[in-house]
Amino acid sequence: MAFPPAGAGKPAIDFGALRALVVDDYSGMRNALRLTLSNFGITKVQLAANAAEAIFHIRNKPYDFILCDFNLGEGRDGQQLLEELRHSNLISLETVFMMVTAESFYEKVVATAELAPDDYMIKPFSAEVLCARLVSILLRKRAFADAYRHFQESQLEAAINACDALMREQPRYAIDALRFKGEILNAMGRFEEAEALYKQVIAMRAVPWARLGLARALHLQQKDEAAEEELRDVLEHAPEMVSAYDLLADVCLAKKDPAAAQEALQQGVAVSARTVRRQQKLGEVAFDNGDLDTARTACTQAIEKGRHSVFVTPADYGNLCRVQLQQGDLKAVANTLKFNKRTLEATPEGQLVMAVTQSAAYTREGKSAEAAKTLDSVASLRAAGAHGDPQLMLDLASTCMANGRLDEADAVVAEVARNAHDSDALLAKARKIYADAGRDDAGGSVLASATADVRKLNNEGVVLAQKGDFRTAAERLLTACTAAPFNPRISMNTVWVILKHIDQAGMDEPMIEAARRQLGEAERQAPGHPRLAGLRLHLREIESRFGIHRKHA
Amino acid sequence: MSGDNSDFYAALIHELKNNLGLLSMTLDTIPDTGDATRDAALDAARMQCQGVVERLQQALLVYKANQGRLIPTIDAYSPHDLVDELTRRAEGLAHGRVQVVSEVTADVPPIGFFDRDLVEMALINAVHNSLVYARSGIRIEADVQDGCLEFSVRDDSEGFPAHILASLADGTPYRARGTGLGLQFARLIAEAHENRGRHGALRLANDGGAVFSLIVP
Repeated sequence: MAFPPAGAGKPAIDFGALRALVVDDYSGMRNALRLTLSNFGITKVQLAANAAEAIFHIRNKPYDFILCDFNLGEGRDGQQLLEELRHSNLISLETVFMMVTAESFYEKVVATAELAPDDYMIKPFSAEVLCARLVSILLRKRAFADAYRHFQESQLEAAINACDALMREQPRYAIDALRFKGEILNAMGRFEEAEALYKQVIAMRAVPWARLGLARALHLQQKDEAAEEELRDVLEHAPEMVSAYDLLADVCLAKKDPAAAQEALQQGVAVSARTVRRQQKLGEVAFDNGDLDTARTACTQAIEKGRHSVFVTPADYGNLCRVQLQQGDLKAVANTLKFNKRTLEATPEGQLVMAVTQSAAYTREGKSAEAAKTLDSVASLRAAGAHGDPQLMLDLASTCMANGRLDEADAVVAEVARNAHDSDALLAKARKIYADAGRDDAGGSVLASATADVRKLNNEGVVLAQKGDFRTAAERLLTACTAAPFNPRISMNTVWVILKHIDQAGMDEPMIEAARRQLGEAERQAPGHPRLAGLRLHLREIESRFGIHRKHA
Repeated sequence: MSGDNSDFYAALIHELKNNLGLLSMTLDTIPDTGDATRDAALDAARMQCQGVVERLQQALLVYKANQGRLIPTIDAYSPHDLVDELTRRAEGLAHGRVQVVSEVTADVPPIGFFDRDLVEMALINAVHNSLVYARSGIRIEADVQDGCLEFSVRDDSEGFPAHILASLADGTPYRARGTGLGLQFARLIAEAHENRGRHGALRLANDGGAVFSLIVP
């Protein structure tokens, strides 16, 4: 078959140079697709049968075009593959990712722009349509080249200007430019502007992604009532829009309505059970709600669906065991640890999860000698630097208490409290451990003194900063960071103050290095926190300002 | 599950559609030989296979509509790209036997809001009908009427039979076979499109041939 060029006046695409990857679990389809691509000149084609193979090839060399079936049989599906590729930065914004689905209506997962493929192809499709869509996406990416480049260099202001230019000069990309700009504004913490932008799109047409973007911008401004109203209305019209349930759950949690959050997550899971992060969240929320059966299913699913993916960490095994312990199902705990022994033993964090869980199980069984021995190994793992999530640490504290190791328990709780001095939810859980052990007073004083120290250092830093003494403020906050090395709030305040100090007094190498370290820690402890993007941007801006300055000096 | 096994039949049709889809893609990859009789037979096989696939897609859609689940996924698309794509598909199917031309009027905005896949399915079905009945050519158009996007497929055939035009006019269902089923399906798609209280519509007319128009608000 002969194909006409991509339309008069449009710049030509060099198909011969395109490196393509076809991902489909069915070999007949893979070969048919390869032939289809060769029909319009794409000859550099690699085939992959599943997500693992695809990731292997993509790690080895970059591809310009990935054509991936949504349904990949056992293991991860196409959407999970895409999320993992984006999460691990294995593909850039220039890479075309097209999802092939068998039907448009229930598999078309409306996701945020960063998690959406560039286009969907509904099976069966003709070579002409595939070719036309690919050309159209490639031309769009060409038009967005400046915006993408600035974005990838974290020059977000410049990326926004590039979007504005596209809106003015190439009206056919105006909506795409608005969509990209909205995501950037939300990432920069400019939520009011994002809100206005999404309202502008909705005034044209209430497309689902704009309504979701609006709800996100509202939620990030703590306007949770309005966000919930928007999301409930979206879901009434499009009940299959899974990402709306995830956002709704966040909104409900912010409104301190965990039952509604659980319900939203369960509805999301009912539409699509495969997303690991949704299952993880459901597991946590259901556990806190005391719905252990739901929590256990969700934690199990998170591990099942996420096996070999980047989204599952040792904490997930700890979470499942916690539910099983709470249910009194010690046999299940033993099995979880046994079947996942190899994975857990591979890292200090995994070893810590195993030891903490094992000590809790022994305690339950009344095997105090074994429990004591395991708690000793927990202590040495911790002394060697192994760090667990706060929930695991609270489990440890409660086991220590049950074994009469009160000082150790208090030290662990104090550590958790220092690192989460402003998290009401975690502090309440800590308080409950003391209440259950009949040590309310002891708990009160441990928590009070742990949080008071951090709060005092933090407040001193903030007050000094308000007076304009950024240098001393930074020093005070860095002391707080030593006391509370995993406290995202303290880390973010420290970064902010250091950057102000440099703005005021000029480059200070050790300080900017400390800011980089603390920003990294905050990103690990509170991924997606609304303050992070602004800080990252400020840091980047200072780096480039002084980078250029140094060159000239 | 409902007692009438309709979910089971839907799943079965879905499966059949995918199998046929693969067959259709395989047929597409057989190169032309240059031998007119053989190539014509192959073209006919392609057309027929596509036709069956589309019929199955329509059956699934009618099933969905009956379940109240035919909800368009509206987003911003280029009407120009859509006409371009349809024209290429029509050319691929016509293989030079019927001339395919297209026109997008100057009023058509660079982007419109509609469910591209549904609209394309309805239009490609109209293209198929026109390719079967056209004497020498078909024309694929996009225009703006009364603030709505209007996609049309025209041919130089003898036009729609009177009973089809009549049943559209008085709203009675078409006979559920052949062209009738395709038109019923196009009407479902048009009407599922809604914008601020305005619904889409299907318009059929005879004007030097059959004129099939899908209007989306």
